[in-house]
Amino acid sequence: MENVIFDVKNLNLFYGEKQALIDLNMQIEKNAITALIGPSGCGKSTFLRCLNRMNDLIDGCRVEGDIRMEGKDIYKGGWNVVDLRTHVGMVFQKPNPFPMSIYDNIAYGPRCQGIKDKKTLNQIVEQSLQRAALWEEVKDRLKDSAYGLSGGQQQRLCIARAIAMEPEVILMDEPTSALDPISTNKIEELATELKNDYTIVIVTHNMQQAARVSDYTAFFLLGEMVEFDKTSVIFQNPSDKRTEDYITGRFG
Amino acid sequence: MKIKTGNQNKRRFYDGILQALTYLSSGISVLVLVALFVFIFSRGWSSINMDLLTNNYWSENYNVEPVSEVADTTFERPADLSEEAYFSEKWGVAFVDHVNAHKEEMILVEYIDENSPLYAMSDVSIRSNPQDFTMQVGMQVSRLSYTNEQGDTQLAGIGGQTAQDVAQALDQATSVNSMFIQTTGGGIRGSIISTFYLLLVSLVIAIPVGVASAIYLNEYARKSKFNMMLRSGIETLTGVPSIVFGLMGVTVLFPVTQLFGATTTSILLGGLTMSIILLPTIIRSTEEALLVVPQHLRDASLSVGANQSQTIFKIVLPCAVPGILTGVLLGIGRVIGESAALIYTMGTFINDSPTLLSQGTSLAVQIWSIMSGEQPNYELACAISIIILFFVLILNFAVKIISKRFSKAWY
Repeated sequence: MENVIFDVKNLNLFYGEKQALIDLNMQIEKNAITALIGPSGCGKSTFLRCLNRMNDLIDGCRVEGDIRMEGKDIYKGGWNVVDLRTHVGMVFQKPNPFPMSIYDNIAYGPRCQGIKDKKTLNQIVEQSLQRAALWEEVKDRLKDSAYGLSGGQQQRLCIARAIAMEPEVILMDEPTSALDPISTNKIEELATELKNDYTIVIVTHNMQQAARVSDYTAFFLLGEMVEFDKTSVIFQNPSDKRTEDYITGRFG
Repeated sequence: MKIKTGNQNKRRFYDGILQALTYLSSGISVLVLVALFVFIFSRGWSSINMDLLTNNYWSENYNVEPVSEVADTTFERPADLSEEAYFSEKWGVAFVDHVNAHKEEMILVEYIDENSPLYAMSDVSIRSNPQDFTMQVGMQVSRLSYTNEQGDTQLAGIGGQTAQDVAQALDQATSVNSMFIQTTGGGIRGSIISTFYLLLVSLVIAIPVGVASAIYLNEYARKSKFNMMLRSGIETLTGVPSIVFGLMGVTVLFPVTQLFGATTTSILLGGLTMSIILLPTIIRSTEEALLVVPQHLRDASLSVGANQSQTIFKIVLPCAVPGILTGVLLGIGRVIGESAALIYTMGTFINDSPTLLSQGTSLAVQIWSIMSGEQPNYELACAISIIILFFVLILNFAVKIISKRFSKAWY
């Protein structure tokens, strides 16, 4: 791996007394899709939320170890939290557009950074929606409420909202678990396209999805990262027995 | 063992009793409510008219003398004058009998011709400094001194005389010496204005402070002993009787109002006290409204690089507006209905031209004032009650419409 964007070393995470992540070491490659798989409660979402410090919001959450993004530590002052999140965008499990118009949803992030110029905003909105493959569907109703969109469209809107900040990384936390197969397919296609410009880290329960879209796969179990390798290796020739059992559906 | 014993009758019996009990209980509350409305409306409705809303409470007295002599011409009785009015052709003035909100009988000016000698007069209440006085429709004539054709000085309009007597007396008069004129009082204009001032002061203070504290407690505060104490302290405040707040207002807040130039208890002091009474209500309802705002919206906002205050003010707070408005409505109801705390802090003097720094009564305190006198006036009290209910109803609808508009932006 030559082009590393995230470098995680000896990461331990505690919720109060309970340890949720144990001695994690991992390198995430730039402009690739990395999938995190594992049974519920294994810590994959927790790990994902470390990467843009969304765990900060949880009372009693404590992080030890190093996570470096582009060489700067994200927990120890290398990055300002708000800055970090403009570089590391996130798409959530449930589509969660703001209760505003489609336009305002996309423009929200740039506006928070102080961009007020209408032309610039228009441009950002159009570009982001085009990249999220949503422009053609919504260009005539940008002023309508985002809640009028279908679930799949809402999720692509959320991706567009993340793209509007021009991040380096997009974290996706089970982005298709609430969607129907067709919408899921669209999101997967989109993810594959987006990896040319962005690094994508995706948590998924769907092993076929991981096999289809990702370049690297990490298998988590009970807070530990059991195995991390190229997706083809993980799915065809896993070195750990537990990985093999999980992938072949013997547990989980 | 047999489980389905088929003892259905007993079960059905208990079921029936329980149902009947719940019906009865809900019936009682509705019945009481209806009884309340029937009582208030039956006693108070007849006293409600525009005069009640626009009149001063206290009547003003004028001792007036005409400035011009009576002419030989006679005046035409206007065609639109009501049958009950008694018209004096010689003086161009008409009177009616009237019973005011305090059930006092009186004689009112019903019509006055602009050329009548009784129209433009001189107010000589203070002999050394006479003022111009214009007779107006609706003024009360309580004494009229005139000289009749025999040259004797006579009095009219006193002690049980009716409008007819006064009009007849005037027709026989060669000149009017003096009149004692009162404006009709008994209105609640001053109290309405005071109530609005009170609402304004208390809401202007309580809403920002209350909403801000709720934001702190719900959004910024981490779990700590101090914050737990803060929270339970606020909850305790909700249960403190308002009369205790009133005492506190007089002792603690009075010096604050002195800074603004208050010399006595004042509407400002009442407003400050009320704002403190409102705080826990507004904090609680705002907190509840904030709690309902889904966490995933906050996450979404933070994940695109908004900081916490941007998240709160651009996303969370707009979503919470309907809930906050509910709290404000409860607060308004509380202010309009409060009397105990205000008796201390605003006084019980019914003020016809209230200012922030003067004493005054809210509508509720005016009811208290009227009812605590030697002759309680149920009719007026009920009339004011109707007006209070009416205010609250209008506010209720307004708030519902506003929150509906905001919740439309939601989904």
